[in-house]
Amino acid sequence: MLKTAWAGLRAHKLRLLLTSLAIVLGVAFIAGTFVLNDTIQAGFGQRVTADAEKVAVAVLPGGPDKTIARETLERVRGVAGVREAQGLLRGSAPLLGKDGKTVGDLPTTAVSIVPGALDRTTIVTGTGPGSDDQAAVLDENTAKAQGFRLGDTITVLDAKQRKHTFRLVGTLDPGLDQQLSYTGVVGFTMATAQRMTGEKGFQEIDVAGADPARLKATVAATVGGAHVVKTGTELAADLARQAGLEMEMLTIGLLMFGLVAMLVATLVIYNTFNILVAQRTREMALLRCIGATRGQVFGSILIESAVVGLVASVLGLAAGYGLSVLTLAVLAAFDAPLPTAATVTLTPATIAIGLVIGLVVTVGAAVLPARTATRVAPIAALRTQVEEQTFRTGALRVVFASLFLLAGLGAAGAGALVLPPGQQGSLLVVMAGGVLTFLGVLILGPVLVKPLSALIGWIPAKLFGVPGRLAVDNSGRNPKRAATTTVALTIGVTLMTLISVVTASTRATVTIKLDEQFPIDYQLVTQERDAGIPRVIGEELRGRPELAAVLRIRDTRVAVGGTRTQVGTYNGPIEPQVTAGSMRGFGAGQAILAEYTATDLGVKVGDTVSVTTKKAGTVPLKVVALVDEESPLPSLTMAEPQFEEAFGVVDDSRVLLNIGEGVSPEQARSVVDAATAAYPTVQVQSSTEVRGQFDETLDMLLMIITGLLGLAILISLLGIANTLSLSVYERTRESALLRALGLTKPQLRRMLSVEALVLGLIGALVGVVLGVSFGWAASRAMLDGAVFSASAGQIGVFVVLSGVAGVLAAILPSRRAARASIVGSLAAG
Amino acid sequence: MTLTETWRQAPPAVLAKALTKVYGHGDAQVHALREVDVAFATGAFTAIMGPSGSGKSTLMHCLAGLDTATSGTVHIGDVELTGLGDKQLTLLRRERIGFIFQAFNLLPTLTAEQNIRLPLEIAARQADQVLFDRVIDTVGLRDRLAHRPAELSGGQQQRVAVARALISKPQVIFADEPTGNLDSRSGAEVLSFLRTSVRELGQTIVMVTHDPMAASYADRVVFLRDGALVTDITSPSPQSVLDTLMKLEA
Repeated sequence: MLKTAWAGLRAHKLRLLLTSLAIVLGVAFIAGTFVLNDTIQAGFGQRVTADAEKVAVAVLPGGPDKTIARETLERVRGVAGVREAQGLLRGSAPLLGKDGKTVGDLPTTAVSIVPGALDRTTIVTGTGPGSDDQAAVLDENTAKAQGFRLGDTITVLDAKQRKHTFRLVGTLDPGLDQQLSYTGVVGFTMATAQRMTGEKGFQEIDVAGADPARLKATVAATVGGAHVVKTGTELAADLARQAGLEMEMLTIGLLMFGLVAMLVATLVIYNTFNILVAQRTREMALLRCIGATRGQVFGSILIESAVVGLVASVLGLAAGYGLSVLTLAVLAAFDAPLPTAATVTLTPATIAIGLVIGLVVTVGAAVLPARTATRVAPIAALRTQVEEQTFRTGALRVVFASLFLLAGLGAAGAGALVLPPGQQGSLLVVMAGGVLTFLGVLILGPVLVKPLSALIGWIPAKLFGVPGRLAVDNSGRNPKRAATTTVALTIGVTLMTLISVVTASTRATVTIKLDEQFPIDYQLVTQERDAGIPRVIGEELRGRPELAAVLRIRDTRVAVGGTRTQVGTYNGPIEPQVTAGSMRGFGAGQAILAEYTATDLGVKVGDTVSVTTKKAGTVPLKVVALVDEESPLPSLTMAEPQFEEAFGVVDDSRVLLNIGEGVSPEQARSVVDAATAAYPTVQVQSSTEVRGQFDETLDMLLMIITGLLGLAILISLLGIANTLSLSVYERTRESALLRALGLTKPQLRRMLSVEALVLGLIGALVGVVLGVSFGWAASRAMLDGAVFSASAGQIGVFVVLSGVAGVLAAILPSRRAARASIVGSLAAG
Repeated sequence: MTLTETWRQAPPAVLAKALTKVYGHGDAQVHALREVDVAFATGAFTAIMGPSGSGKSTLMHCLAGLDTATSGTVHIGDVELTGLGDKQLTLLRRERIGFIFQAFNLLPTLTAEQNIRLPLEIAARQADQVLFDRVIDTVGLRDRLAHRPAELSGGQQQRVAVARALISKPQVIFADEPTGNLDSRSGAEVLSFLRTSVRELGQTIVMVTHDPMAASYADRVVFLRDGALVTDITSPSPQSVLDTLMKLEA
């Protein structure tokens, strides 16, 4: 039987090649993800190891938010065997951009750069500050983004927000430190760093010396138990692990897409082996005639699938390797904050995973078709004509499908409508419902194909005359095969539509909530909560006729019922969405809580909460209203006079502004800019800017996910092409008859294109219906007060693309059908 | 030239001159047709006979524009097929030729009526309702029109194929072993429909067959051997056809 399997493989090279492409793509994606992960992790390791080699022993503070006292450094320096010891200092020092305002959402982080052997910074251009207290270095990205060049003068605020100027002498690479990459870095000499940040202690003390293990023990004995002491190697391992965590999340995310691709590939392979078995019915029957057992027939198909799976997996591994090399090159070209320099390697684990997944999927998908092959009766060898497969809707199928659909839709409905929104549990219930519903659709697929093809084919049938009508009939002719083919496409379209609906709904929900509660045009913010907005700015703006409304929010963090909570007040017009109670007559002795705060504290309207302040002691407040968490109000809102009584003078933390009627945005902006010009820490954000950023993030997310799902669509295309070529094969004589009766070659090709179009559109339509429904359910489960929104344009594009994809898949099979000789085909079979 | 005795007054519906068909190259070369000259009279029912491998099917395929000859010419009415491209040949088949095959004559997805109207629809022509009714009644399919091929017997299927060939009033109908898959009673039925359509509708039919009984329904039988036309007889009887065949095989 091995020989038969081998001959079968050789005879169907092309078909199997197409099939294996589905596996190749899936395995390539998964293997590529692993290779990428391994390479980047290795890169992390290499970098930190290179850094840590300079350090024999590192002393770290005993816990987060703690620092190492200066005397400790002196004590470490005195330890025997310590060649050199340096403290590392880190603190906030906001850099000012060329517009005189602080840069970014968070203050720039200042670090000390020590001279000598223990310097672990990577200077990219220029030099380090050396011992020049007037020199500074910036990280590459910040320098580039703000347009600073070597030799420029930069302005940095110190802890008391006084301006200091420095000469930019170099740029550095922040390396793997995620915090530094995010905030931006300004590097100073130790003395300057201390002066600018006001930090007293160190973040870390690095020690150089021989025999790290012994040194670690002696240093640890010297600094005492309140510190953590590590050797350079241990430090490197920790740093690599931290840096690698995010990469792992990314890897898991990518693997999800890989799994979707493999799922689609499974369906395609299942269909292809069905096709191969159908094509070889007579061959199988002949084998059975001459004495092959059912088991041998079964085995020969499985061997065939195993060879295909193995070859495809190997190709997939190679492709995955290439894919990751390409990705790394792209990442490097875009200066991504990831190490891309490490040697790309296929680890044995990756190879094993790739091969196992490829093999299991291929052989697994071939089991059912192989079983079908064993059912071929020997007598079939003598029949001249391939029997038309008939399909009858079985009661069992309907019952099972109904059960799945009922359970799935029920779960999704419960998750969307009954369970509390915004909770992970609700989303999980909706997702489980989605999976069940999808299984239901999968089972019901063959039943749905005929009516759907009639519905979708209505227009093509009208448009393309006889070829169109025949095509529509043909598309529903083998419902099982058509269903499997289209379901593969449905998976991709469903997920794309779902993501599209969720992002559109999120956007709509957030926008509407913002507009409803405080349709702001500008907001004033600072980088740090404790550095507030001076009250005078709000006072001044309130008097300006260009502004229609000025809402000022103040807050501070104090203990409420034992939990540290954001307590504040507001001044100005606001109409938050009240979910319980009422804000009417809000005054002293009362409190408004955000919903989640009420949940955390376990209180409801009518209950009393106690706010503890230094000035006023414990103040009991009666909860009068709960507000939606999207509201700009603090977690706990007090009436303004009582807040001032309890906390004294507190700066505004946010000022929200509205432009007056008939005032141009430019005019209003200049007023706001003028009022804040003297305060570099106060940043002015326009709502269009904020929304623009939000939109950009969402669009980017949508684009990436859609791109990744494109792989699933591509694989399902291979499935459509395979199914069509079987149809072409099965209908060789039918096509010849049509050609004899006067159907031209282009008409025959068009007939197959329309069939593919109808298949593609069925897949897309089911996908859109599922995607929109579950997008709605998922949005309801994820967002409180979700507003449903779907972009008809985007969904339209998905549908059109599916149709186009189908037509593309038909190109090769239809060419083959049109080329076949009429005489030869009539004689065939 | 053998275009002699059975000439009727009208010009021939199909005319082949020096028709040659060669398959393969070099040593493997096979002459399926050798310089065949043959004419098929308009309004006549002609059968082509010959032993297996005599080239009768190849002759029909070349005459019908399904296959192209290596050399020689074919005329269907006043149109010369030689040198026509695929598109023109297709349109010619659509307009002027009807087909009845041995098996697989019908599209399984269409009803009997849809199958019958298919050639007209492909050609985007209106059906002549009077002709349609007449054809349907002639072949006796009125109560079967809504059935699909799978629900019809072999004989009924072949009658649908006959009706389909007749409905577009082609210049000539080519029938390739139309009774090959039928029992003798159904076969006889189909053959008498063919003969009736020649008598009553003036249809021209060319039929390839190896069955002397089937050939006896024709007005004339031409015989092929080794790709060459050897003889023909008019007003054949099963016995005269059989005798001629025996002579050829000898």
